[in-house]
Amino acid sequence: MKKLFFILSILVLFSCEEEGILTKNVGQVPVNEELAVLKYSGTFETTSGISGEGKTKIFLEGNQYKLILEDYSIENGPDLKVYLSKTNSPDDFVNLGNLNPAAVYLIPTSVNMTEYPFVLIHCQQYNHLFAIAQLVQN
Amino acid sequence: MKTLKFGIVLFFVTSFLHAQGCSDAGICSIGKAFQEETKTFKNSFEINSILGQGDGNVSIFTQTLSYTRKFTEQFSLGSRVTYNLANGNFGTRGQFGDAYLIGNYQFKEKNNKQWSVLLGWKFPFTTANAKINNVSLPMDYQASLGTFDLFLGTNLNYKAWDFNLAVQIPVFNNNKNSYFDELSVSDDFPTTNLFERKSDALFRTIYTLKTTNNKFLFKPNVLFIYHLGEDTFENQFSNRETIKGSDGLTINGNLIGIYNINSKNSIELSVATPFVVRDVRPDGLTRSFVLGLNYRFLF
Repeated sequence: MKKLFFILSILVLFSCEEEGILTKNVGQVPVNEELAVLKYSGTFETTSGISGEGKTKIFLEGNQYKLILEDYSIENGPDLKVYLSKTNSPDDFVNLGNLNPAAVYLIPTSVNMTEYPFVLIHCQQYNHLFAIAQLVQN
Repeated sequence: MKTLKFGIVLFFVTSFLHAQGCSDAGICSIGKAFQEETKTFKNSFEINSILGQGDGNVSIFTQTLSYTRKFTEQFSLGSRVTYNLANGNFGTRGQFGDAYLIGNYQFKEKNNKQWSVLLGWKFPFTTANAKINNVSLPMDYQASLGTFDLFLGTNLNYKAWDFNLAVQIPVFNNNKNSYFDELSVSDDFPTTNLFERKSDALFRTIYTLKTTNNKFLFKPNVLFIYHLGEDTFENQFSNRETIKGSDGLTINGNLIGIYNINSKNSIELSVATPFVVRDVRPDGLTRSFVLGLNYRFLF
């Protein structure tokens, strides 16, 4: 039995995570402040048991909507995603990707923004909603 | 202690080999559970190292530890734990993959024919949602499919021939993968967000050749795996989508060479490659060539 634990310990030592060329310095498409027009904004309200605060802004740059998070300090969780949602619950939404407060999220050009008045922060792995921001048109 | 040292040396040596592997969701190696290795010893311990090259420049190294206990002449119970290390343009990710528990019952031999049946279960250690630097990784980098699978199988041994028939059924899906092709800088992998995988059916024919002193055994075999439906994922607009071409047939050719060092210790080298593959393999089981090295200790 000791032998088995020893060999398993060796295997654990081999557990690793190392960045590659596609995960190192992940590039961002910045918001061009001269061209971009602020179209929507909202303030996050956290759900029960979740603390922190933050804002979201959506800019239109050419024909591309871009979403950013601002003053974002909502507590972290596993597998958090940013959703553009039709309602204040994660039922019918556009998944914009993993939460990264520094990211600029590109909204698919096929999205009709008037149909999506909410931005949600949602834990996809455990299906738990962290925060909701209702968008206000600027 | 000598055996342990040998096993560790083998582990390290094989860690630096570079080879490839076949498309295996677990069912590929199920045939081993049918094999009756010995009538003298009741326990078997194995270390297995497998190397493979998948799509999108991903190299996969799999390490498995197996223990099998023979409770009666007919019934044995085997367990296996896998560890996967994937390396490619996304980086390197290593994790424990799955645990297997497989029961095998052999009926008494009659007229050179022996039937056995198998019942097994696979438990995933991960939800197939490993990330690097908060970047979601495709299934090719995941150590497990994230499914709790049931194995049902039967084997007919007739003289030097073995015929395996088995199914692998995902009973409970815990795959939480969140990879989107649309959000990735790579075009090599399909979207597998909240991936749901269908069952597999396997048919394998093995022919065993032995040298007169029983020191060497060769087992050429052909493995047919049919993926019984098209897999699905949740797209960016929160709708479930079918992955066209993800069902169908994979045919693998496999050659196993076994060297019996003595009555207790043996080494096995296995080489496999697929001849026919599915149009799309979103589960990441895309290995184009397998090289496996296995050490077995009986006691």
